[in-house]
This record gives sequence, structure tokens and C-alpha cells, in this order.
Amino acid sequence: MNEKITSVLKSVEKPGRYSGGEYGAVIKDKNAVKARFAFAFPDTYEIGMSNLGMRLLYGALNNESDIWCERVFCPWVDMQEKMRELNIPLWAHESGDPVSEFDILGITLGYEMCYTTALAMLKMAGIPLRADARGEDVPIVIGGGACAYNPEPVADFFDCFSIGEGEDNLVEFTKLYIRMKEEGRYTRAGFLHEAAATIKGIYVPSLYAVDYNEDGTIKSVTRKYDDIPEKVEKCIIADMDKAYFPDKLVMPYIEAVHDRIMLEVYRGCIRGCRFCQAGMIYRPVREKTPDLLNKQARCLYDATGYEEISLMSLSISDYSKLEPLTRSLLDWTDRNMVSLSLPSLRVDSFSKELMERIASVRTSSLTFAPEAGTQRLRDVINKNVREEDLMHAVNVAFSGGKTNVKLYFMNGLPTETEEDIAGIAELAHSVVHEYYQNPNRQKGRSPQVTVSVSCFIPKPFTPFQWEAQDTMERLAEKQDFLREQITDRKVRYQHHNAKVSRIEAVLARGNRKLCAALELAANEGFCLDAWDEFFDYDKWLSVFERTGVDPAFFANRQFGLDEILPWDVIDCGVTKEFLKRERAKAYEAATTPNCREKCAGCGANRLGGERTPCPACRGNNEG
Amino acid sequence: MKDNEKKFTLPLLEAPRTVRVKFRKVGNLQYISHLDLQRTFSRVLVRAGLPLWYTKGFNPHIKMVFGLPLPVGCESETEFLDIRIERDMPLSEIKERLNAELTEELAVREVYFAERKFTDIAFAAYEYTLTLPEADAALAATVEKTLSEGPLTFVKRSKSGEKEVDVRDFIRDFKVEAGTGEIRLAVTLSAGEQNTLTPEAIVTVLKQKLGLFAGDPLKERYRILRRRVLMADGVTEFE
Repeated sequence: MNEKITSVLKSVEKPGRYSGGEYGAVIKDKNAVKARFAFAFPDTYEIGMSNLGMRLLYGALNNESDIWCERVFCPWVDMQEKMRELNIPLWAHESGDPVSEFDILGITLGYEMCYTTALAMLKMAGIPLRADARGEDVPIVIGGGACAYNPEPVADFFDCFSIGEGEDNLVEFTKLYIRMKEEGRYTRAGFLHEAAATIKGIYVPSLYAVDYNEDGTIKSVTRKYDDIPEKVEKCIIADMDKAYFPDKLVMPYIEAVHDRIMLEVYRGCIRGCRFCQAGMIYRPVREKTPDLLNKQARCLYDATGYEEISLMSLSISDYSKLEPLTRSLLDWTDRNMVSLSLPSLRVDSFSKELMERIASVRTSSLTFAPEAGTQRLRDVINKNVREEDLMHAVNVAFSGGKTNVKLYFMNGLPTETEEDIAGIAELAHSVVHEYYQNPNRQKGRSPQVTVSVSCFIPKPFTPFQWEAQDTMERLAEKQDFLREQITDRKVRYQHHNAKVSRIEAVLARGNRKLCAALELAANEGFCLDAWDEFFDYDKWLSVFERTGVDPAFFANRQFGLDEILPWDVIDCGVTKEFLKRERAKAYEAATTPNCREKCAGCGANRLGGERTPCPACRGNNEG
Repeated sequence: MKDNEKKFTLPLLEAPRTVRVKFRKVGNLQYISHLDLQRTFSRVLVRAGLPLWYTKGFNPHIKMVFGLPLPVGCESETEFLDIRIERDMPLSEIKERLNAELTEELAVREVYFAERKFTDIAFAAYEYTLTLPEADAALAATVEKTLSEGPLTFVKRSKSGEKEVDVRDFIRDFKVEAGTGEIRLAVTLSAGEQNTLTPEAIVTVLKQKLGLFAGDPLKERYRILRRRVLMADGVTEFE
């Protein structure tokens, strides 16, 4: 590693963030590979090392002998200061080499508030912020992740985006780069054009011109070449059993936020909650077979020694083979003192049997997400859970010795009234009441019900993508109103910062005009905005004002149903017609059955998929 | 692929047995704290497929006891970890299995049944390499004189608060040498539960007294290596 870097390790907080040398890190001979890929996570090491996507893509790229993929994280502010003092450019974790020397820099965008960190990292690397200012020798900068589904607010800073699931896509992309270099026909522009024309899921924003109406909405989007798609369709791994799966992991020495085996059970979600972006953009549902999952879990356990396996998916209890899977896992996990955990639980399928099998529930606290306080509003958002389901679930928990329950809700959902907000408090009070009614509760202990309320953020590719976010004042009023409604001291109340949610909404529904604001933010040193201690609302407003961006236009405006949306250039599988139908049903408080009950015709099945409930999918085995 | 199920086929021991693992922790691993090292080893021991003994309580866990904890920023050739096994696995196999799960910077040197207790540790011998362009015999002599004459006041932090101590009270013996562009020190310091001093203290007092590295923290280049761990006579190596 660079001697300058090691020289400061003794004087920064948590030097283990930077020192590297982890077991499982991939080291290759840089002169023997044909492309060097820097995979950047725009947050700290501890957060990045917890990211399942990064684990998968790091493995998939390094699985290719021609490619060496290294990790890059955002240094903490104390290290950033040392880097400025000593002129140390951003480096890659494995080799310590400057990121600017790489062929390709991939940046994963999982959350809107990481945009400024991504730009700060480009600056630290000495890479020009704007794609049009980059010379031939600068790494190709490619973005991906959930936020790439609306890439427009950061379109000027990325040479291209990989839309959808990247395991195969990024390998194909990098191989095209290698091939064009080998054939001596590589130019930056030529490569980007060919990638856009020949690789599914590659969006090159500079090849699409955007015109605006006088009111600031989009007038037209025009592609610059006929051989590139008008709409960029996301790529998926059709058969999850054949998806790349790493047989070993990089083992962080310092504690990562999620330090455990993450076993991805299936992709997509059958539910279709109308506010939820993940539930739409990861469709169609594609399951892995339990036998394969069991083998993969065992393989990772042998390779890591982790004491916990977390079954990952958007709604784990919807996995059609959950029973056989947990049974085959428990066959060996118990004996080896390995525990199973679930990140999320649906109240309508939470059972005593499930609780007994799963260790996370052996701890004292359980989390459920009713999302809304009344049945009417839960129907509006298509949450499809009833108060009885919640009461049943908490009773299972209380009978099992639990005393703490955490409930997630959202404020500011479309059509929300005071009655819905009061309903949140009532629901929490009922849970407390239920505890005391339960004869099998842990005697002599009082319950604690935590009500955690986030703010609704309209997200692209959801039935609520057109909705206006409540103004900050309105959200603050609602938060205060709820606080007054909660009268029981056994109920603890927490809410998200409405200021962050507003900026998030602006960035989530933004168009290319936001690039100027983000560029100014980057030049003014914005970084790590996902961290409370660095987020400064007034500075954001100032940046918007100076670049002529009206945040209300993006966050608090009802978008027109016929308006061209910034993200219309992306095809995530789910059709706009379906989203409109779902929106109309929301206003009638009508629910939509889940994918297993009845196909709602979302359109995602035209992308294909194996082991899926979608009727029209290739290889569908459920009839 | 190693066989992680083999452990269940080995004969059970009459009682769980303590095995001492002597290992090195050098290079990048010097930046990993003791707490992080504990977590790392708990996973290494498991993935190595050792027949570990688990505590019998409500929350079963493996037993790990480390010898003298090593401060961050210090490398070591001589670290000790006691683990407990419940089935009979040859020591050579334990060593082999562990090293298959470790890197060169964190590697097992020996595995054996321990006779001595960690409380027998009284001293630790450290080697310091200070990278200083101005290093020569005269500077070495100055360092030697500084360490001999004192007083060398150092603020020692512990659970019970801060205390001013004289570093010389912890030095059993030392040697100074000048090399090309570097000063090398060998210092034996008190160690163990009672009377311990962080090896970093030597560098701190020398920086203060002699203004080494031009007083600029960004110019500091030095390496501290724990070479040996010693018994009360200050000569016999702890094992």
C-alpha cells in the first residue's frame, strides 16, 4: 500500500477501515489482467461491507480471470482531511492504487442521499465530475443500483448506467471494453455508443437529448442514434438458481453493520404495496430452490464461520418453500450453533412455528410494518394486512416471551386524514392492551411498543410516483398531532427527519436540471449526507436556490398523468398503464390480490423468469 | 474443500481441553483492535472446523482467552490465544486448519498444550524502528542518554483514570542502534496484569524530548514489533 496512506493510519479513527488485508480479499497481478474495475460504495467501509449487492458483483467480476475488481469506500472526514494535506488521491482497497488509474469505476447508488458522497469520491479520485469533461485516459464511470432507475438527477456525472441486475451485465460490459481495446478500436465515445447499442440495460445519458416545456416539465427525449434503444430495458437474471453466487466472502476485521451470511432467497415481491419501489422494480418474482439455497448457505458457512444466516428477500414469509428451506437448514445449523434470522416479517404469516425456528425472534424485540393506522389507508396502499393479523402476530410474540414490539408506519401517504394518524396511536395502544390481555405473557414485565414513523416519499416506478409529497410544514404538523395522540407511556414514538425526506423526494423524482445543483453541492464539499451529522437542510436549499431549482416542483407537485417523466427513458418491466390502474384503485381504497392469488398484469413477466408465480413467464412451474 | 463435519466424528475427550495458539499479527493487521481480533478469531476457529467446546448456558459460546492484548499500531510475532476443544484432534491438524483460514499477516506459529498461565507473563520485548533521515551514531547516543537519564514523564490512561508515570520505571533493559536512515531500539518493558505500559509510550516520550520527525505528525514513520514475551526472570520466554 502507498506509504503515504500507511503513514496516516496511526492518526485516524478506526484505521481498520483502510488497512485492508482481509481474508478473502481478491488479489491479482495487475499486469496480467486486461481490465481493472474499481467498485465504489459511496459510504463508509462498515456500511459498504454490509451490502449484499457489492458482495455479489465483486465476486462476479473477479470470477473472470481477465478482470480484477477492487473495492473503494468513502473515507471518513478525518481521513479526508489527511488526504488533502498529503495529496493522497482516493485509492482502491486491495492494491492501494489510485482509482484514477483504473479502466472502469462502478459506483453503486442505493439511496438518493449518497449522491453527494459519490460526487465527492470522484473529486477525491481526481476524476472530472462531468462526464463530458473526461479525457480518453479517465476511467469509464458507470452507475447502478436502485437509484439508477431514475438516473437523470446524476446523468451528467456518469458515462453510463447499468439498469437492473448487474451480475452478468457488468461482466459483459467490461468484456466489451476489453475486446475493443484488444482490437485497437477503443475510443471513449465509440465504446459507450457500442455498449448502449449492443448490451441490454446500458443507458448512456449523453446519447439522449432532453427538451423542456416552459413550465419546466419534459417536452421530449430524443435518442441521438437509431441503433440505441428508445427505452432502456432493465436486465434480470432469469433463473436465480443459475445466478452467480460467491463461494467465499471478504471477511472484514472491523465490525460491519450487517456481519452475517446473507442468503438471498428470491428476487422480487408478490405484494405490490403502492408506495414501495423495491416491490415494483425487482419484479418479476424469481425464487431459488431450497436445495440449492441450503447448499449455498452451507458453503458460505464453511467459508466464513459466521454464526448467523439471514434469509434475505423483500418479504421472506412469502417464499413458497420456506418450510422445506428452514427444515434443511436447521438440519445442520443447530448442531453447529448457527442461528437463522429474518430481516422482515409480515404480520399475516407470522406463526409460532416460524418464530421458534428463527433466532432473531429469540431476542426480546420484534418488528412489524403495518405502515398505516386504519384499514382504509392500508387498503389505499395495498398493504393487505388487517388489524386482526397484527393482533394475532403480537400475541404470538407475547406468548413466546417477547415484551418489545416495534411498529413501522408512514406519514403523508396519499389520502391520509387525521383519522388515519390517530389510528396509528390507537393501534399502538391496542397492542399494549393486547399484552395485558394475554394470559401467557411474561409476568411481571411491562411491554414496550415503539412506533417509528417515516415520511412518504413518492418514488419512480410506483403507483404513487405522480403524487405530491406533503410539505414539510404539513409533515411536521402531522408528527406533532400524532405525538399528542399517544397517551400511553408504554408507547415510544420516533419519527424520521422530514427535511431529509424532502431532499430525498427532490432527488428521487428529479430530472437533469438537478445536475447543476449537485455539481454546486459537490464543489461546496457536500459529502456523507446520509449521515445526520453532515446533513444540512439550509445548505441544500441554498444550493437549489443558486442553481434555479425549485425543490417544490419535484417534491410537492402532483405530476401530470400524461407528463413525460424523467425516468420514462427506463423500462423496469412494470408498465405505466399498470401503475396508473393501481393508482386509480388506490383512490377507491380497492386492494389488488398478490401475484400468487391472481395476476394483476403488471407487465414484468415479459422479461422472463424461472420459478415465478407469473402466468406468462417462460419456465413458470406453478400453473 | 475442507471437511467441516469431521469434527463430529472425532472421539470425545473426557473433559474439554485447553489448547494454546501462538500467532503473529503484523503488517496491516496492526490496525485491527483487540475487540475486532476477538470477533475475527471466533469466526476463524469455526470455519477451520475445530472441535470447539461450547459453554452450556442459555447462550452457548466458545471460550477464547487472549494473552497480553496488543495495542493498535503495534505488530507482534508472539501473541497467544487459548481455546478449548471437546474432541481429540491432532495439534498439527489444528495448526494446519487454522492457517488455511488466515493470511500471512495473521498466522499461527505453534499450537500446543499450555503449561504456563498468562498471569506468569512479566515482560515483553519490543523492537522499534524509527525512520529518520538524520539518523546517525550521535542521534543514537542522544536517544540512549535520554532513555537512561530521564525523567520521562508519560500520562498513563487506565480504567481508574489518568496517572503520570516515569517510563523508565517500566524499562527492564534496552539497546539503541543507528542504521541507515533509521534508529533501531530494543526495549524490554514490564507487561502483564499488574504493571504494564503501552509500547507506544517510548516513542511518545522520545518525540517530546527530542522533537523527532520534525514535530510533524504527518512525517512520523515508525514501527513497533513485539518480539518476545518473557517470564519474571526477564530472560525465559513465556510459552
